[in-house]
Amino acid sequence: MKQYIAKRVGYALISLVLLSVTIFLLVRLTGDPTVLLVEPGASQADMDAIRRQFGLDQSLWVQYARFVTSLVRGDLGHSFYYRTPVLDLYLSRLPHSLLLAVAAMTFSLVIGIPTGIIAAVRVNRWWDSAGKVFALLGLSLPSFWVGLLLILFFSVYLGWLPSSGSGSLAHLLMPAFALGWYFAAAHMRLTRSSMLDVLGSEYVKLARLKGLPEALVISKHAFKNALIPVLTLAGINLVIMVNVAVVVETVFAWPGIGRLLYEGIAFRDFPVVQATVILNGAMVVIVSLLVDILYAVIDPRIRLTR
Amino acid sequence: MEETAVIRPRRRRLTALPAAPRAACPPLRPAAEGTVARRSGRSTALLLLVVLLLGTTAGLPIGPAAAAAPEGQATWAVHIALAPTWFDPAETSGIITPFMVLYALHDALVKPMPGNAMTPSLAQSWTQSKDGLVYEFVLRKNVRFHDGEVMTAEDVKFSFERYRGASAAMLKSKVAKVEVIDPLRVRFTLKQAWPDFMAFYATPATGAAWIVPKKYVEQVGEEGFKKAPVGAGPYKFVAFKPGVELTLEAFEQYWRKAPSVKTLVLRTIPDESTRLAALKRGEVDVAYSITGPLAEEVKRGPGLKLVPTYFTFTTWLVFPDQWDPKSPWHDQRVRLAANLAIDRAGINSAVYLGLSKLSYSFIPQGMEYYWAPPPYPYDPKRAKQLMAEAGYPNGFESGDLTGDTIYGVAIGEPVVNYLQQIGIRLRLRPMERVAFFKEYGEKRLRGVIFSGSGAPGNAPTRFEQYAVTGGRYTYGSYPDIDGLYTEQVNEMNPRARQQILNKLQQLVHDKAMFGPVIEPAFLNGVGPRLEVHGLGLIANHAYSAPYEDLRLRRP
Repeated sequence: MKQYIAKRVGYALISLVLLSVTIFLLVRLTGDPTVLLVEPGASQADMDAIRRQFGLDQSLWVQYARFVTSLVRGDLGHSFYYRTPVLDLYLSRLPHSLLLAVAAMTFSLVIGIPTGIIAAVRVNRWWDSAGKVFALLGLSLPSFWVGLLLILFFSVYLGWLPSSGSGSLAHLLMPAFALGWYFAAAHMRLTRSSMLDVLGSEYVKLARLKGLPEALVISKHAFKNALIPVLTLAGINLVIMVNVAVVVETVFAWPGIGRLLYEGIAFRDFPVVQATVILNGAMVVIVSLLVDILYAVIDPRIRLTR
Repeated sequence: MEETAVIRPRRRRLTALPAAPRAACPPLRPAAEGTVARRSGRSTALLLLVVLLLGTTAGLPIGPAAAAAPEGQATWAVHIALAPTWFDPAETSGIITPFMVLYALHDALVKPMPGNAMTPSLAQSWTQSKDGLVYEFVLRKNVRFHDGEVMTAEDVKFSFERYRGASAAMLKSKVAKVEVIDPLRVRFTLKQAWPDFMAFYATPATGAAWIVPKKYVEQVGEEGFKKAPVGAGPYKFVAFKPGVELTLEAFEQYWRKAPSVKTLVLRTIPDESTRLAALKRGEVDVAYSITGPLAEEVKRGPGLKLVPTYFTFTTWLVFPDQWDPKSPWHDQRVRLAANLAIDRAGINSAVYLGLSKLSYSFIPQGMEYYWAPPPYPYDPKRAKQLMAEAGYPNGFESGDLTGDTIYGVAIGEPVVNYLQQIGIRLRLRPMERVAFFKEYGEKRLRGVIFSGSGAPGNAPTRFEQYAVTGGRYTYGSYPDIDGLYTEQVNEMNPRARQQILNKLQQLVHDKAMFGPVIEPAFLNGVGPRLEVHGLGLIANHAYSAPYEDLRLRRP
């Protein structure tokens, strides 16, 4: 087991090193950030001064060596645009992203699981069709469009909710819905198929033959077992939500990591993009590592066959 | 030091305020004063009371009512992420955006204000020696920073020496020394006469004249200053969430006048539609940068106003092949035909609701030393005739029209269509902004380039970058233009310099060296709560200012 965990940790570290090299090189392929920090028409001297200030006048090797040295010390650098430590920026945005992700996840589970169960229990009937339409819309409608429609309806026409920003429950509702709908649809589909599998299994048939009430069969025997894959997916989706909320956070001016990444890309703020991608990547790698280890603990075949 | 010319401040003028608030309250006419003199003591007292009340309502500085405590809150939806670097004038990067914050938190010796591009502010006057080597500033007495410290000449010297933003190296290389004569006088001695000293020192071209408190900066350090900036402006720093929201509070001891609005909030809302929604809901009072169909929506919105502002930003076509004798663009008639083929008013109407300025020069109209050229009329018939005379009756293939993905598409697309109508066949090639300016600067673009600049400075600085040999974006030039440019560099007489620069701009126009298109307006939505919103009060300033002049509508 120890050997298995050590191997997994090794893979995780290699993934992070590869991610850091890739993002370091990729952001530099997108062009010179100096152009965006001055007006077009700025003098060459001004542009050179900015390059010097940010160390962009150094060779790629020197820049990478500095980047890695700082990273090892836990220093993610200073933002070109904000001129403040990137870690401070990231940590100031992280709670907002987590709050949004948790709210969106709650919404997606509260909506996705019951509709999935109903669709499975009433398969090929009206409820099932409605659930499929709900899932299709959730998976196909772009979240920025959903967000704008929500703003238009609930903020502008009805005046019930604030159009953007953060700070209260009212601020959270629309972004959580816009972000959560896609995941609600995914959870609904998985719940439905998982429930259908379980409802067709032998032990459920036996429960029915024993004359147990249908509600008890569904809630006690089928639902509990159908929930396992859904919750596994939900755990991974929670981390993904933190990473993919760029568009929703931008539309709702929600001060999360997604918006920070968007600004970093827009301004070619290399340290911000590097730090955000590496830290978000680390989040995904750590969750995957934990899942791998938990699976290995639960199922000995995994650690023996890998 | 030789004989000096004294530049005195203009009196503050109420004409700086828009007409609407003044119309809301009847002006105080001299006739009314005469009437007052003939009335009884009781009537006079009553009338005086009415006058005082009216004065208060209009925000006029009359009596103790003018010193009423600031109240209320005004909120802006800002289109761009707010950065702490904007709190520090030393880091001004040559873009206009930081001045959105600087006008609130800080003050400058001399700065653009309503009606005067170089208004003495923290300096009450300045003198320039006849040889152009020495500039001496007399500071305003008893000006206090937000921490209560009195501003002195030491702060001015410190702020200049600390300045490290746009053009810092160039500005400092021209200054031999900065001396503190006494607490209220500071003297700048140049190494050699430089006619553009004030154009760089006292305008948004740099932030070197914006004064920070030496004692406080030394006490808290550079990082500390960005976290809790202290200035001498009309508003004090309260709170900041990087990239999200900045909160400011009125500084009632501000020398010019106490602000009328107690709290200002600048809130970043990156999405344009969301900014408009926030404006419609009354969550914000001003929404910056609303374009296209959304701007139409603002015009239709009850109680909303669409207010354009302008800064020194203009767009023009560059014909990089005009120096190649084999290229059709080498012929001045072809370049002139291109200029006559573009319906600038049509583009303005379609893209900017008719609110932008039509352009006939690559120098913006609000820039110092601008010369107004004769307009190119929209005349496709004459354009086709010129094409035929130049030997291209059936037109020619000209490759790409390359521009950035913002203006290069919005304005570039109709331009391609207009040129197509006279036979100049181009493909629109939008490029991502960074890649575009990289290729443009490295002189790798051909065909036609869609260029634009909002860099501060004056006409010579634009020539230096775009039209004379060696310029960062110059693809070629002409000996007469290079010669005249060199001639004006050391010309200290403003009138003589203006004449040379007029001639230079005329040469550019006669040669049809560029294809100027439009000076895009910066369109903003304004809600009903603000009576004085500050947009457009200061020429060439895109944002609300001066903040101390803002006023909320009274219920």
